[in-house]
Amino acid sequence: MYGDLGNKLVQYAKRTQSLGFLPPYQTETVRGVTREVRDLDKDIAQRLEPFGGSFNPQADQATACTLLVNHLSIRRNKRCLLAYHKSRTDKLEELAWKGFDVVDLAGQQVASGNAGSNLGSADGGSSSLSPQEEDYIRQYSDLLAAYKGQWTDIDLTGSLEPPRDLFIDVRALKDAGEIQTEYGAITLTKNSQFYVRQGDVERLIAQGYLQKLG
Amino acid sequence: MSYYDLDVILTDSEKVPCKFELEVPDLGYLDNNPSQPLKAGTSVNLPLWLAELLALTHQSSTPFLTLSLPPALGDNVLNALKADPRAVPLRDQSQNFYGLGARMLDLFEEPELGVVLRRSFVVRAGEVALHGRKAGATGDAGSAEDFMRGLEEWEKKLYRQAHEGAKGHKEWMDGVKK
Repeated sequence: MYGDLGNKLVQYAKRTQSLGFLPPYQTETVRGVTREVRDLDKDIAQRLEPFGGSFNPQADQATACTLLVNHLSIRRNKRCLLAYHKSRTDKLEELAWKGFDVVDLAGQQVASGNAGSNLGSADGGSSSLSPQEEDYIRQYSDLLAAYKGQWTDIDLTGSLEPPRDLFIDVRALKDAGEIQTEYGAITLTKNSQFYVRQGDVERLIAQGYLQKLG
Repeated sequence: MSYYDLDVILTDSEKVPCKFELEVPDLGYLDNNPSQPLKAGTSVNLPLWLAELLALTHQSSTPFLTLSLPPALGDNVLNALKADPRAVPLRDQSQNFYGLGARMLDLFEEPELGVVLRRSFVVRAGEVALHGRKAGATGDAGSAEDFMRGLEEWEKKLYRQAHEGAKGHKEWMDGVKK
């Protein structure tokens, strides 16, 4: 029946609401729903054609009813599509605020996308974001960066927990190259350990390059 | 309650029994019979998003179809709820039981239904909060587990909040002591 595909999308969105990552974009289902909308629209146009723009619902109730059913199905599909995409953009914004890097995100998604592919039909694409979503999150991150840039002494996306120590022990989980700190440069190679100032490496911990010890 | 609310959208897809009041040649597919016209008087189960407006749209005096209450809100369930709200697994009736109830009360004049639902929610909420607070603390499985499985969406949300509230409170207390 019309609207079933849309329902599937919303159920999918609902299931993934509590996940920490974004599952792959449901390209096929979204395409299916939009196709349904186009078919319905075509059907409506066809039905109205013989009336030449002077359709009187009172005179032909059966047609009026069919048109209404088609119209409602289109509206329902639209709502399902919008809700699905909104649930995803909300998640993306949340991730952006948590300090995930966009490029990072796309790469990370591949790994988690494969692990979670039993959740839905993974399309086997390289990223679990649709091209539009990638564009969206890139621009959103730019906006966020510009917004944060107004206050140089406060990191808006920083941790709300007051630090217990200024310096902490960290271990590098991946190679991250050289980073500059107030006390000179350190080179992060995999599995090496450092005693560094927490403020310097907070972002790297959030991004998963470093692990806090102790 | 927003346009984008997933729960509201899912509540809208709950099926309600309807009876068509006029013959429509092209809607046979609603009754799983695409080649036949949909006869007047045919009973079909339609999702709320479709049925509601079809029932409310008046062309001349008769609406396209008439709605009736879904079985989830029927007499059997109501009587069981009146007897003991805690003993009814609402989830088996409908995943969005209260959401559906609220929508139906918008459409039907059923003061008694409202009273029963409200009372059930209050009685069950106490139980939900109780389980939410002590979840993971004691191993009293059995009846609690049965009850938990019968929670519908609103109650599940309530349960999660009760659980997180208790957890947050405990964390805060621990922080204060230090």
